[in-house]
Amino acid sequence: MKALAPLTRDKQDTLLLVAAALLVLAPHFMHLPWWITGTVCVTLLWRVLLTLRGRRLPPVWLLLPVALIAMGGVFQSYGTLLGRDPGVAMLTLLLVFKLLEMHAKRDLYVVLFLSFFLMLTSFFYSQGILTGLAMAATLVALLTVQITYQYTGSVPTLGRRLRLAAKMFALAAPLAAALFVLFPRFEGPLWGMPGDAQGPRSGISDTMAPGTMTNLALSEELAFRVRFDGAPPAQNRLYWRGVVLSHYDGRTWTRIGGRLYRRDGDAMTLRVNGTPAPYEVTLEPSERRWLFTLELTPPALEVPGERVGESDELESFTVRPIHRRVRYRAAAYADYAVQPELDPALTGKWLQLPAGFNPKTRELARTLRGDGASVDTARVVAETLLLLRMKGFVYTLQPPLLGRDAIDEFLFVTRQGFCEHYAGAFVFLMRAAGIPARVVTGYQGGELNPVDGYMTVRQSDAHAWAEVWIKGHGWLRVDPTAAVAPDRVRLGLGGALPREAPYGITAFRGDKDSWLARLRFHVNAGNNAWNQWILDYNPERQRNFLAELSARAADRQTLAALAILLALAWLWRLLRARRRRDPVQTAWERFELLLARHGIRRAPDEGPHSLAPGWRRWRWRTKKRPRWPNSCNCTRRCVTARSMTMNDTGRSAVWSNC
Amino acid sequence: MLEAFWRRVFRFERRKARDGDVVLTLRRVYILPARAGLAFTVLLVLMLIGATNYTLGLGFALTFLAAACAVADMVLTVKNLAGLRLAGGRVAPVFAGDTAQFGIHLHNAGNTDRYAIRLRFGTVGEGPPEHAADVPARGSATVVLAIAAPERGWLRAPRVHLETRFPLGLFRAWSWWQPDLRVLVYPHPETPAQPLPMRGAAREEGHGEVGLDNFAGIRSYQPGDPLRHLAWRQIARLAPEDGGQLVTKHFEGGAVAELALDFAQLPPHMDVEARLARMTRWVLDAEQRALPYSFRLGHHRYAAGLGDAHRAACLQALALYGREPLP
Repeated sequence: MKALAPLTRDKQDTLLLVAAALLVLAPHFMHLPWWITGTVCVTLLWRVLLTLRGRRLPPVWLLLPVALIAMGGVFQSYGTLLGRDPGVAMLTLLLVFKLLEMHAKRDLYVVLFLSFFLMLTSFFYSQGILTGLAMAATLVALLTVQITYQYTGSVPTLGRRLRLAAKMFALAAPLAAALFVLFPRFEGPLWGMPGDAQGPRSGISDTMAPGTMTNLALSEELAFRVRFDGAPPAQNRLYWRGVVLSHYDGRTWTRIGGRLYRRDGDAMTLRVNGTPAPYEVTLEPSERRWLFTLELTPPALEVPGERVGESDELESFTVRPIHRRVRYRAAAYADYAVQPELDPALTGKWLQLPAGFNPKTRELARTLRGDGASVDTARVVAETLLLLRMKGFVYTLQPPLLGRDAIDEFLFVTRQGFCEHYAGAFVFLMRAAGIPARVVTGYQGGELNPVDGYMTVRQSDAHAWAEVWIKGHGWLRVDPTAAVAPDRVRLGLGGALPREAPYGITAFRGDKDSWLARLRFHVNAGNNAWNQWILDYNPERQRNFLAELSARAADRQTLAALAILLALAWLWRLLRARRRRDPVQTAWERFELLLARHGIRRAPDEGPHSLAPGWRRWRWRTKKRPRWPNSCNCTRRCVTARSMTMNDTGRSAVWSNC
Repeated sequence: MLEAFWRRVFRFERRKARDGDVVLTLRRVYILPARAGLAFTVLLVLMLIGATNYTLGLGFALTFLAAACAVADMVLTVKNLAGLRLAGGRVAPVFAGDTAQFGIHLHNAGNTDRYAIRLRFGTVGEGPPEHAADVPARGSATVVLAIAAPERGWLRAPRVHLETRFPLGLFRAWSWWQPDLRVLVYPHPETPAQPLPMRGAAREEGHGEVGLDNFAGIRSYQPGDPLRHLAWRQIARLAPEDGGQLVTKHFEGGAVAELALDFAQLPPHMDVEARLARMTRWVLDAEQRALPYSFRLGHHRYAAGLGDAHRAACLQALALYGREPLP
């Protein structure tokens, strides 16, 4: 502040306002086109220079064309003026131009309120914990500016103003927290968001070609988090079912699409036994429609705010792509049979193979099948898995490129592949052997966070496996990858493909007990709590939480404790308020009240001495001494000795005898 | 006993100390959103809609924080005014047509500074000039509010309007206070001034010679007056804007000039107010020229004298002539 000290108050205030505006605008620089960022910076700089030099603000006839040109630029950059991103760009420009057009106090409020709204729009792009902290700091800065402009006389130092703003923030925080929890929420969106949808992020897609899964395996991005009500199932049972791929064109596996599953229909017969394991999934926004469920979850998912469809291949999906975090509850059965009594005539679509591809694999399949009229599915599966295990197949993230007859090359030449190679080749073999089979993609495994009990499933847990249909048993899961690399299923990808310790520091390798891993678990749990309670506190969560809260608060003890706390707080305040008062002044005021009750009064312009004759007269008449209202001895001495002097306002000033 | 306890707890009585000297209790402070506050409400609604539409968890947090800040602002705005103790200060008599100035003391017994408290006389619609005051914690501030004094007599201070929007300006808290203050308004002195009604020797022009025996007042300096006759006291007292030229003591030989200001001696056809105005002018002139004067107005009879007390008594009599004194 020393450098600013010689500036006039107006200039200091303006510079502070510009600084706060910069705080608001800075988070937007990351996503705005470069020319807008440049315009914003130049305009702010211009404003600062104008302020420092004491020049006048530019006239409207100069600002208006510039603003129009900037609007044209926004149209040029985004192709539209409507929608979220162009709107944010326009608001940023509006804010900086408004800073150049401030003449009345009203303009200050316009700038400040625009800043508030711009802060909100920055959450389109980031809502992390750090963003939250930055928001708090920016809010305090904005409050400081608003307070600064309210002073009419002396202005305290910037530090004291900041402290006042922080005090306001601290006062507001509990109420804001209560509002956050209790204020009725509505399920958004209120209107469609055309053009706002973001491009697809990484995630399980509708197709599978060599390389699809490998790309995912390199991403540490979060796919979803799961919390089991009870103990989580064993690692090798954690198959998160996503998309079922049934059509092969020689290179790519695709869905054949299914009818919408009807809950009362007969297309799907499902038998489950035992008690289900309930769990709750918090799915990250993927811009895709797939919902992932633990095998095997009967298809009856309910996702708040979304319409859910199910195919007869046991896929669950939302009707619209998911652009926000969603939560859904489900329960999985360990013992199940899917479509055990399916008419074999309907299984044709799971026997489809492109003609003219992979002759050697077909030959192998024929060998495995044998000559019997009916195929012994269990034997063929077992022999195929044995083959994969014994023939020196390698599980790797860097498989060699494959040519036209990809499966032939994989099975007989390279013998190196990732899960998609194994699943694809296995299903091809089965079909060639006359066994209905299909590829299932999803996730396998997950990392349990011991801090908060949530299981984290990342994109690197993406996996592909196979299902074969056996009459009487239905669809059975077969994971050929597990035959090659059992550790993949037992320990996860990290266990199957140990990575080099980065920089040779073992702590970075991600062992479960290293301090870094523990730190990572804590950060992860913090992020999760932030997501669950701040970002995804939706109407459903609010209902559940309030129901739980009211169940607890109805408890008589809780109510009593709250009442006692409130009473204590009130008493404490009271005591503090009493202690603060000047005891002599209090005594004097009581004394005056006492006299006033007997008609002895003092005009505002009279001193205490003017009370003396009336006071003496009264004492003479009543022949008694008044009951002193205060035990403070000095009060009595002071008042009776009339040694008190008052200044012209009637307040005690000097006490000679005390 | 119980009553005393409650009285003690709520400190009802201690708050209203005396008439005209008041502590602004919460009950006396009113508050409504200012125009900026209404705009802020609109902003909050927009933010809430935005946060709902895009399901922005942090957006909700920001919206509710901003709303809670507005509530905190409301509380702080009330607290900025409530608990303030108001007391009347000094007032100096004025002449009709001038502006009367009332000193108003603001006392802050609390532990927080109070800022930007605006005071003015009158009602909401009127626009007399506002004065802003800051009252430090456990301190006081004085504001002087002015009001036109068109007529002679007692003038009561009108109601004082106190208002504050501190700290955020979203709310306007205000209160009214009737100070127990009054100011004495003297009649407007007559212009142009009539010569003083000198009686005795001075009246008969030419009889008395200008001599050195008897002091006969002062007059403006004329070239040739001896320097030792300069009336330094009067020169020092007169401000230059009151025609503060050099004045000389004026001595007359012969009979002593006697100056009697008598209301009854004025021409009866003159308007009462005009006569009072003339008397006022004469009192001022006599004081200025340091001529002792006697004063008669109704039942007020003051022997010849000079000085501030004499002057004040005479002017008060003139101001209140025919007027009921205020109760």
